[in-house]
Amino acid sequence: MKTMPMKSKPNPKLAARKAAGWLALGLVALLVPRLIGSNQYTMVLATTVLLYAVMASAWNIIGGMAGQMDLAATAYLGLGAFTAGTLLIRWNISPWIGMLLGGLVAAGFAVLVGYSLFRFGVTDVWYALSSSALVEVLRVVFLLWEDVGGPVEKYLPFHNWSLYHMRFGSYVPYYYIILGLLVITLLVNDRISKSKLGYYLLALGESEDAAEVLGVDARGCKLKALMIYAFIVGATGGVYACLYGFIHPNFFSGLQGTEVAILGIVGGMGITYGPLLATVLLVSGREILRSNLSGEIESLYLAVYAVVLILIALFRPTGVATLIDDIYRRFKRTGENHVSEISTNSTSL
Amino acid sequence: MSQKSQPILQVSNVTKRFGNLVAVNDVSLQIYAGEILGLIGPNGAGKTTLFNAITGLARPDSGRVIFKGVDITDLLPHRICRLGMSRTFQVTKAFNNMRVEDAIRVGAYNRHGEKEVVQKVDEVIQFCDLEDIRLWKCGDLGLAQLRRVELARAMATEPDLLLLDEAGAGLNATELSELMAMLRRLNRELGITLCVVEHVMPMVMSLCGRIIVLESGRLIAEGTPDVISRNERVIEAYLGERGGR
Repeated sequence: MKTMPMKSKPNPKLAARKAAGWLALGLVALLVPRLIGSNQYTMVLATTVLLYAVMASAWNIIGGMAGQMDLAATAYLGLGAFTAGTLLIRWNISPWIGMLLGGLVAAGFAVLVGYSLFRFGVTDVWYALSSSALVEVLRVVFLLWEDVGGPVEKYLPFHNWSLYHMRFGSYVPYYYIILGLLVITLLVNDRISKSKLGYYLLALGESEDAAEVLGVDARGCKLKALMIYAFIVGATGGVYACLYGFIHPNFFSGLQGTEVAILGIVGGMGITYGPLLATVLLVSGREILRSNLSGEIESLYLAVYAVVLILIALFRPTGVATLIDDIYRRFKRTGENHVSEISTNSTSL
Repeated sequence: MSQKSQPILQVSNVTKRFGNLVAVNDVSLQIYAGEILGLIGPNGAGKTTLFNAITGLARPDSGRVIFKGVDITDLLPHRICRLGMSRTFQVTKAFNNMRVEDAIRVGAYNRHGEKEVVQKVDEVIQFCDLEDIRLWKCGDLGLAQLRRVELARAMATEPDLLLLDEAGAGLNATELSELMAMLRRLNRELGITLCVVEHVMPMVMSLCGRIIVLESGRLIAEGTPDVISRNERVIEAYLGERGGR
């Protein structure tokens, strides 16, 4: 067979630039606590941003790629938090183990829910509504199940600095743990998007019928995506419980679950770095706004947040991540003259 | 193309209802290995529903579908695809946000692992002459190109039987003749059996060795293009309707 033209192969220059970009981003993320570690408030903010980034990036697998509008991130977060929290409170089992088990519980639960939903062809809005209801159902169940949940917060044992108990008197360790989770989530995203499962999920997200007649096992693939997403968010729930120092049924928050999906959509469906970008921009923007608008006008931050979301929906329905591509392209166009543009084109052919 | 060869697909007494409407009514037909079969009929005759019943997208209310000796009536579409059957859609269901090569890759995974899949994609792209648009997003393509990509996508699954639902609709004369040439190559060079649902009569008449006519969910005629074009019931039900417009 004749050799394929260069343009079909990945561009090594672009790949190197991408890698450099990620490296720079990672470095900044590592340095954040050094720069602002003394300021409790900004550390809380940074940790919150990362938490949302992990959830939104995990959501990208089921929502962005497979196109299932899942609003149940907090269902899995809560299950993970209650698993890890209860294991620590009752049996003094380390949250490091607890978070893995929490992930497994969440993934197991996702199989039960996902199997029945996908089996009966619940898709689109109906899937969104079902998943949203799931969060509320779990909240009520844990509110009534007093052995584990109940209306009063159950506190995790206090330790000023214990690695075994994952309890720290500072936000910095949590920041790094969640940063680690984020890196893993992004790597998982990247790995999936380059594999058979990723291609299948993208195809399913576009048209289930068309994908199926091309050999895509719709149910199986969606179930896999849901499990991976639930596991990551469930494991994050374990850290979440330690971070807050207690577990409470309000962890099953419908609002927060929806927000995770919003971040995933606004970031750019199916784009690995999209949800991260959206979270950094929107969640930090929102929190900064909230802290700066004091007193009576405090809730104005929600209005501003909503307006920003509407603007993105109007002018960037493909997500803020695609904005970066456009800026990069425009920068390239103005940065180089016409002749070099032609030459880059011809070398790429 | 001879009638003596084994049928690759055997549809027996398939009925599909939607409420009170009987979309496909007790239809039986055979598709023989290596042939190009035409399936024609006026709008609403049940052609697409029959396709859906065969490919597993809609379960028939009664009747059986046997493909290569396997009863596939109750199988899910991806299992049927793995057995060697794929299809295209009347309303192109493009993977709008995927690049052409990625859309084809989805099909290629049907028979190939991560290692060979890239090579298979290249092969299909060459065969279907999609080299210049392989990096385009499917959503940016015109209708004729989309149809070719959809065909390429299905071809990448390496089917023995390919069902084409109005692949020629909306194409101009040049595009149509290109499509027909490609279908002939698929049939002759790759040995893929084709079943085409088509409204474009000249295309059916020159492409197909055998034609089946559906009307109101029933099979009303079967035969060579010559016989069909002279069949009075067909002219009345279908050709007549067209001519009257």
